[in-house]
Amino acid sequence: MIYLDHAAATPVDARVLKAMEPYFTDDFFNPSAAYLPAKKVSAEYEEAKSKIAHAIGAKQSDLVITAGATEANNLAFTAMTTRKCSSSSERSLAPVVTGLGRSVFSTSENMLLGREHSSRLLYLETEHDSVRRVAEQYGGLAVKVLPNGVIDLEDLKAKITDDVQLISVSLANNEIGTIQPLADISSIIREVKIDRYKRGVKTQLLLHSDASQALNLLDINVARLGVDLLTLNAAKVYGPKGVGALYVSHEAKLKPLTVGGGQEKGLRSGTENVPGVIGFARAVELAKEHLNGNRKKYTNWRKILLAELEGYELINKKHCLDNFVVLCFPGLDAERLIYLLEDEKVYVSTGAACAASKGEKSHVLAAISLSDDQIAGSLRITFGETNDEAQIHEAAKIINRVVAKERARVNG
Amino acid sequence: MAKTVYVGMSGGVDSSVSALLLKEQGYKVVGIYMKNWSKDLPGMKCPWAEDLADAKRVAVKLGIDFEVWDFEEAYREKVVEYMLREFKAGNTPNPDIMCNQEIKFKLFYEKAMEKGADFIATGHYARVIDGKLARAVDENKDQTYFLYRISEEALTHTLFPIGGMTKPEVKKLAEEKGLHNAYKKESMGVCFVGEVGMKDFLKEYIDAEPGEIREIETEKVLGYHEGAIFYTIGQRHGLYIAAEVPYYVVKKDIKKNVVYVSKNLNNGELWTSELRLEDLLLRFGAFRSAAARELAPAARGDGPAGRGPERSGRALSVLVRLRHRAPLIPAILDGNTLHFEHEIKRPASGQSAVLYDGEICLGGGIIA
Repeated sequence: MIYLDHAAATPVDARVLKAMEPYFTDDFFNPSAAYLPAKKVSAEYEEAKSKIAHAIGAKQSDLVITAGATEANNLAFTAMTTRKCSSSSERSLAPVVTGLGRSVFSTSENMLLGREHSSRLLYLETEHDSVRRVAEQYGGLAVKVLPNGVIDLEDLKAKITDDVQLISVSLANNEIGTIQPLADISSIIREVKIDRYKRGVKTQLLLHSDASQALNLLDINVARLGVDLLTLNAAKVYGPKGVGALYVSHEAKLKPLTVGGGQEKGLRSGTENVPGVIGFARAVELAKEHLNGNRKKYTNWRKILLAELEGYELINKKHCLDNFVVLCFPGLDAERLIYLLEDEKVYVSTGAACAASKGEKSHVLAAISLSDDQIAGSLRITFGETNDEAQIHEAAKIINRVVAKERARVNG
Repeated sequence: MAKTVYVGMSGGVDSSVSALLLKEQGYKVVGIYMKNWSKDLPGMKCPWAEDLADAKRVAVKLGIDFEVWDFEEAYREKVVEYMLREFKAGNTPNPDIMCNQEIKFKLFYEKAMEKGADFIATGHYARVIDGKLARAVDENKDQTYFLYRISEEALTHTLFPIGGMTKPEVKKLAEEKGLHNAYKKESMGVCFVGEVGMKDFLKEYIDAEPGEIREIETEKVLGYHEGAIFYTIGQRHGLYIAAEVPYYVVKKDIKKNVVYVSKNLNNGELWTSELRLEDLLLRFGAFRSAAARELAPAARGDGPAGRGPERSGRALSVLVRLRHRAPLIPAILDGNTLHFEHEIKRPASGQSAVLYDGEICLGGGIIA
């Protein structure tokens, strides 16, 4: 097997699994319980959270652990204040997590917050559905990207009107790997804040970023990026699925989506996922340790692949994560290529796995002005720790063979 | 020059094997996924995207062209709206029959022909013998009940590649040929709305009022129902009446929203020895051969046989199927009425009675 879809999922690293194991059995205690063994687990849980926080230049108390990145994104947007935000009835409408539509279809979707308030939210048009769908419910306005996938800063500036409270821009795109200039965006935000202060405009202005794809590929520091809210995901960095975290600065005041026992400072009730967080922390440690080595390795593999493949157009030329290669084979249907490659035990994807499974055209590829033909012919290849250099050579060979075969069928 | 076949591929094993057989027989095969319905319902995720992926994966494996044709609007208008209308009127319609008549063997057929097809094909268990619609070899799977209303024109351009096979043979072949969906669970009924889901589906679209359940003999109120339209004559489950013996639905008064039940299986409302059919459709070619045997030589030649209403007065001996996979019952068709030798359990109005002469499907009608 040659697995080239690390942006969709990563296997749990053996060292991560080993770190988690005791917490399923021997150290299973509820961290909130009174006796000493439980207190020990509680301390280790907090320690693990600290490790994750330190990795992004934050404190343990700045993190809210969630069940994955989708929930973290949903939670981040509760920082939006609405005209009637203090009323408890309005809050009670909020606890529905939206994203990829895996959960049961909810008729209450349109009843969520944000229909009546005048405040605004901006999000990048190429965001993942777990941002897009929530943003739409808050009446969000999409900010354009340039044809290279990078945010159009002029469009952003033009759209930050006085009612804008929150801006959401992912650190790196999940379909094409484009890295967004978060520091530039936060500079713009600082200028706007100064201007608003001078004019006596009191509206908050927060920056949220979904960094799910980037945690093991970029050196992330919340202060350097200038973000108020940052989403992290264990499942993309060789940690367990269903574990994520939201960094929350002092500026951002969130409202809980789930209430109950008051865990995570009341923002995310529910018994702590101790093994998940222990595993997440270990995965983050490993990611930091191997960051530079991996980046070099992936850059080299990308060169190899691009040199050995034939008859493609490169879609993500610049400003992207080192392990992302997005290619278009003009005139071919990439979905057919996926099934043909699957027969050869080479696993790649088109766009986001979730969008592909719904049969939708990629909104990301459309946003970077690709034609329908180009979109249909686009493949996403993402390297990772399951690969080695020999596999990259082999993959190039197999892809060339499959593409040639499919081209012959189309032309014949 | 190889003939071109457009085959409807649902992602299931039957249509996949159909495409495979056509390819092996040397046709130029084009796989089409008909997108008829994609909306999720509360608690039910519509599997259309997964079905589409399954169909496409097989098409790629076979190395054939593949397209998605969107019939959602037509399906809604011709099938779903018909179904809702009929349920509201207190009938029990069969949407699959309507889907074959209006979508698969009409819109799909017409579009395929426009694109230059010589034939269309589907994964139905049915056969065409001498141009006539005939039951499948696998009696357990025969799907002619759903096909009796398709047009003669479409039928003459239709191939049923698996009609001569049994389901186990189809699965085995799929497995041998490495089709990934060999053991995929079969879809049931209207798209994804199986029998279990029909009530939930209807609740989404029809505002039904709760009403009384009365015993027919005594008029006594035994309980309450969620809406008379959800009940079918003969039904004995889901009545929520506390009793030691089962009650059967024997009658519905849609206007008063009352469901009548009886614990007497011999209640006259439950049984009948005749059924009146509406929209009787007799398959012209099929009927001719059956009629020929039925009529005395002297009576022959006085006009074309086989036009339903015109033939009144002439009785025809037929086999009748009242539900998909139900046993074949002998009956005499006289005009628009079926006469049975023995009393049968009364089928719900709106369902179809499909007529056969041996293995040939003669057509059928909708039970009034």
